[in-house]
This record gives sequence, structure tokens and C-alpha cells, in this order.
Amino acid sequence: MVNERLTSAHPTHSRLARKFADLVSRWAFMVPAAVLLLAVLAYPIFYTIEISFSRFDLATFSAVEWVGWENYAHVLDDYRFWESMKVTVVYLVFALPLQIVLGFGIAFLINAEWRGRNIVRALFIIPMVVAPVVAGGLWRMILDPLWGIVNYVLGLVGLGPLDWFGDPTLAMAALIIIDTWRWTPFVILTATAALLALPRDVFEAAEIDGANWWAKLWSITLPLLVPIIAATFVVRWLGAVKMFDIALAATYGGPGGATNVINLFIYEEAFRSLRFAESAAMAVIILVVTMVLTAIFLRGSRLLEERY
Amino acid sequence: MKQSLKNSISRRALLVAATMAAAMPASFALAQTNEPVEIHVMANEAFSNMIQSSEVVEFNKHYPNIKVTVDGVPYVELLAKMMLDATSPTPVYDVLIVDDPWTPQLAEVGALQDLKSAEMAGFTAADFDWADFNAAPLAASEWKGVQYGVPLRSNMLMMFYNRTLYQKAGVPEPTPALTWAQYLEQAPKLVQDTNGDGKVDAWAIDTYFVREPLTPTIWQTIMNSNGGKLLDADGKPAFNNEIGVAALETHKKLLDFAPPGALAHGFTESLQAFRQGTVAAMFQWGSVYRSSAVDPKTTTLTPEQVGIQVLPAGSVGPGAHRGIWSGAVSAKSEKKQAAWTFLQWLSSKEGETWRTNNLGTFPARKSTLAAKPESEWLAPVFASLQLAYDVSAKGEMWRIRNPRSDAAQQILADEVGRAMAGRATAAEALQTAAEKIEKVLN
Repeated sequence: MVNERLTSAHPTHSRLARKFADLVSRWAFMVPAAVLLLAVLAYPIFYTIEISFSRFDLATFSAVEWVGWENYAHVLDDYRFWESMKVTVVYLVFALPLQIVLGFGIAFLINAEWRGRNIVRALFIIPMVVAPVVAGGLWRMILDPLWGIVNYVLGLVGLGPLDWFGDPTLAMAALIIIDTWRWTPFVILTATAALLALPRDVFEAAEIDGANWWAKLWSITLPLLVPIIAATFVVRWLGAVKMFDIALAATYGGPGGATNVINLFIYEEAFRSLRFAESAAMAVIILVVTMVLTAIFLRGSRLLEERY
Repeated sequence: MKQSLKNSISRRALLVAATMAAAMPASFALAQTNEPVEIHVMANEAFSNMIQSSEVVEFNKHYPNIKVTVDGVPYVELLAKMMLDATSPTPVYDVLIVDDPWTPQLAEVGALQDLKSAEMAGFTAADFDWADFNAAPLAASEWKGVQYGVPLRSNMLMMFYNRTLYQKAGVPEPTPALTWAQYLEQAPKLVQDTNGDGKVDAWAIDTYFVREPLTPTIWQTIMNSNGGKLLDADGKPAFNNEIGVAALETHKKLLDFAPPGALAHGFTESLQAFRQGTVAAMFQWGSVYRSSAVDPKTTTLTPEQVGIQVLPAGSVGPGAHRGIWSGAVSAKSEKKQAAWTFLQWLSSKEGETWRTNNLGTFPARKSTLAAKPESEWLAPVFASLQLAYDVSAKGEMWRIRNPRSDAAQQILADEVGRAMAGRATAAEALQTAAEKIEKVLN
């Protein structure tokens, strides 16, 4: 009613009023979601940043005094931080490509029609749903130098015994094996879905043109899958970069810090050493590094999508 | 309701304090209230279930009006959660069961109640005998002259040995006079093929070697038994010297006589190896004796096969290391009387004797240790435990006591772990640890 009167008297005012009302109604719908997002996502991040620039008082369990870059200086001066960063890079450089190659390779091999395929696919989910602590404990038994089945099998062919958790290189290998066991199925399922979604007509046309198995794989399947591979890589990267639970359960970061990935180090500094301010500084550094690298990977992923 | 209960307890407390001289006959009638009250306990999940299912049930036979709920928290998160709860304006937990090195940290933030304060004296039974506690376990919950707790699970790092494997190897059983040099001389003989198939199937030792906060306790015990100390009188690192380095090299040397993969062994793995009869000796917390030698559900061994004693001697005597879980009352608890009543009963002569005989927990009281236990296997254990208390009190064999002790312990874990794995020499590791700990503690 009011609007009608305004419309007849002042058309410009009326348009403005409608626009304003529209804006208000839009924000009315958006505000609850925005507030919720700020509360559960942004607040913890900003609080972590605040702690990283403060002295953390255990008596009040809060940030009490602004100390500038002091916590960051402590962190950057700690050789353990850099060691953990190196360990994390080694783990990521080996684990991620291995999971992607294995995942897409296995998906390609099981893509053919055969009986029981769906059951096998369902079984692939199991490692993903096993709790990391359980997976770590399980693999500790499997890789046990004395009683583990892996060393037993290796012994049958004259290899070993290998000290999986006592040798720094083997401990890292064990960590990568366990992580690959857990997360390759995720890549397989993603790759399987992608393979099923590939356009059939392109392959039929290639067959008519006389393309063999390799030509189809190299010239059609892989180019079409590149965007999916890139996206899967980014998703796995985001998961792998925050891994610490398997290291905690399987190797305790040892031997001698050889598998002490950065998130395990942050966790230990926070919850064992109660150095929350330094831990927050490390978390912020990792957040920034992860965001930069993720942006680069996303950009690369977009370029690949455009190219193929 | 809550307020009226609080008022009721406070009034009763005042009344009780005023009439202490004319104490009622039953020890704990002083602290007993008839009105129902509920208290919450935060404890390590490793034994929280035992407290809830056994100790609370027995306690409630005496105090049916005090409902006790025990929440278990994984060890690695326990201190942080205790700090978080105790420093909140309205803490949930009335009783905190704290590990040996945590009292200074919790006391410094005002989380713990002084149990000998005038307020708590009114709730304390007349015959609650403080002097009966051994000095070492009681000191675990003392900080700057204030008593914040009572010993509930008195643990000491001890040497367990498998008599059968010692006999097979033709090596004399250890005694408290055994030195580290003698032990290392015997160790090669204890790595043996027991079934004659040509393969080694039994080793001399298993203990903490893995990178974790309790591993440095082995190194520290060797160092302490040779007269070394973690900190000097000014609270500065004092372990970075010849004694400390030699002790760390001895700890590392033990790996030569341990099962394959022992570098990744800690509490669980060494315990498993000992229970399966594959290692002749184990340096481990004494409280596992029952599950390692008595309970057939968890061990292949019997009390006749398993000996227990202090760790080998250094230049100043045998070694042990204190690991006491103490019960403390939250300073902000509104149910201090009920909380303290619960802790008093658990740590009383009566409660401690019941827990020792029925659950196998180690006592802290001299009278309990001097009494004849119900189970025969406990007698030699008690004798060794008493010696371990005396030894640890004399040599101050415990972890760093400082509000930042956990940070220091984590640094020791990192550096001892590096030395064990051969990623640094003992001297390098201790030098780094000393520099870092000095920064952390000051």
C-alpha cells in the first residue's frame, strides 16, 4: 500500500525503495549463513592469528599481551621446525604422486566389465573409513620386524629382515605405504567415476579409425582425464598436508624425528609442551604456505582444463 | 538446588571445623554428608575405567551419598584439558588426577586446592595420617611448600627380570648391587637361542627407546644413579656433561641387546615382549607387575618367574624413577568437601590396602608396605618398591619440576630420540637439549 503510493508520487523513490527492499531481503537470507561461517570458520582462524602474535597465559588460557613477531622468530629459529618441514616435503613429494598414479592406474585396470566389480569397488572404501590410529596400529603389527607378515614374506625370498620403524628411510617409507593404503582407494573411486563419465562416442570413433589400446589411452583417455587428475591432486594435497595422525600412531615421529611431519610437531608443541603461542605461529605459517601452493595448483589445474 | 547444597556443605564444614577436637569416632564421619552430591573426576583413560568400575563402587559402600563420575582422557591431551577446565570460570571437574611432573604447572595457574589449608582441614579426618606417606610419592604433588594432592597410583621405574631366561643363559639373577657395567657385561649372554633351532629368540632387554616423553626417564635414571642431575640449584640444565653423555651412550648401548625393531619400542612394545617371554629384562613402570606376572589373561609368565628390583647401580647407588599419579581437588570446585572425602578414602590406610589387595595398585604408605599383603606375590614387590622410594628420594630421581616441565620433557624426548636413532651424537643431542631447555625454563 505504501509502495503503491510512493510509486505514483515519486517513481525514482519507488525504484530506490524496491531496490533497498530487495537488498534487505537478500541480506536477510544471507546473514545467518554469513554469521555461521564467520563463527565456525573465520573466528578460529583469526583467533589463531591473534594467539600467534601474543603471549599465551595458561592461567586464563587466553592471549594476553601483544608480542609482535616474537613467536614467529622463535619458530623460525628452531631447527626442529625446519626439520619437520623437510620431512613433510619428502612425504608429500613421494606420497601424492604415488597415490595419484596408483589410483588412476588401478581404476583404469578395473574399469573393464567383470563380475564382482561392484563388490571390489565397495571394498575399496574400507581403508578410508578405518580410523587413522587403528590403521597405524595395524600396520605396526604388519611391519613388525620380528612378528610382521611383511618381513616374513620378504624372508621367504631371502630379503630382510627390515627394521621398518627403526631405520629413518624405512620409517618414512612405512609412513608413505600406510598413507597410500588409506587414500589410494579415494583416488580410485574418483578416477572410476571419471572414467565412467568419459564420452563413449569419442572412443568408438577412435576404434573406427583403427586406434589401438595404447593410442586410446595416451591420446584420448589421459587428456580427457587431466582436469580430473589435477582436481584430485589438489583435494589429496589438502588432505595430505594436514596429515599427522598416522605418524602419531605408527612411528611417533621417529626414529629421531625422521617422520615428524609438521602437523605432528605443531600438535606436540601445543598439547604436550603447552606452547600454544609458538604452535599458533607455526599453524599460521603453514596456513599461508598451503594457501599459496593451493592457489598455484588451482591455477595450474585451470590451465590444464583450458588446454585439454 | 546447587546453591543450597553448597550452603549446606559450607555450614556443615564450619560446624565440623569448630568441633574437630570432639571428633566423631569413625574416621570419615567427619567428612561424610548425608545429602546426595555428585562430583566429577578427570583421569587418564588408561585407568579411569578401573576407578569408575571398582574403586568408586567400593567407595560408595562407605559414602553412598557421593556420586562419582570419572571421565577418561587420553594421556597426551590430559594436561591441556585439565588446564582448560581448571582455569574456566565454572570448571566441570572437582577432582583432577595429575601425573608426576604436572603439579607445578597446575599450581602456578591456581588450579589446585591446598589440601592442608584451614578450609580443607575442616574436611580432613582426624586420623588421616599424612606422615605415613613415603616422602617420594607425597612430594610429587607438593610445590613451593604447599601440598596439593595425595598419591593415588604410586609408580616407580623398576627392573623386571625373567628368571627362566637368566637361568638358561647361566647368568646370576640381578640384585640391587648389580652395576650398569656388570649388566652390560652380562647382556650378550642373555641374547640367546632358547630352543636350539639356530636362531636367536630371546634378548637381554626391552624398554623405552622410541621418540616419546617417557624415553628420557631411562637415560635420566642411569645418569642419576651416577650422581648426575637434570638441573642445578639455580634451575639451569646440569645434564650436559660427561656423566650425562655417558648415561645416554649406555641407554643407546642397550639397543645392541634388544629385539629387532626396539628403536620403535616404548611402553606397550616392551611390555608385550616381556610378557611373551622374549626378553630377559625390562625397565618398566612397576605397576605393570600384576599384568606381567600374575594375570594369566595378559601374560605367559608367573610370579615365580618374574623378579622385580631397582634399576642397576651407578657410582652412587641403584636407580629408580618416580611416576606418581596424585589426586588433587580443583581450586574452583564447589564440592570440595565431597571431592576431598573421595580422595581421602582412596589414599587412606583402609582404601589403599583395599586397592592394593584387590586391584594390585602400588601403595604409597609406609604402613601398607610394611604390612603383610593378602597376595603372596606382593611381598617381594613391596620390598623392592620401598627401596625404589628411598632411592628416588635420595637421588631426586624425577622429571623436571617447573611450570614448563612438559615443554622441557618434549625437548629431551626429541634429543634423546635423535641420539638413539644415530642422527646426533650423545654429546650433540645433550648440548642442543641444554640450550633449548634453558630458554624454555627461563
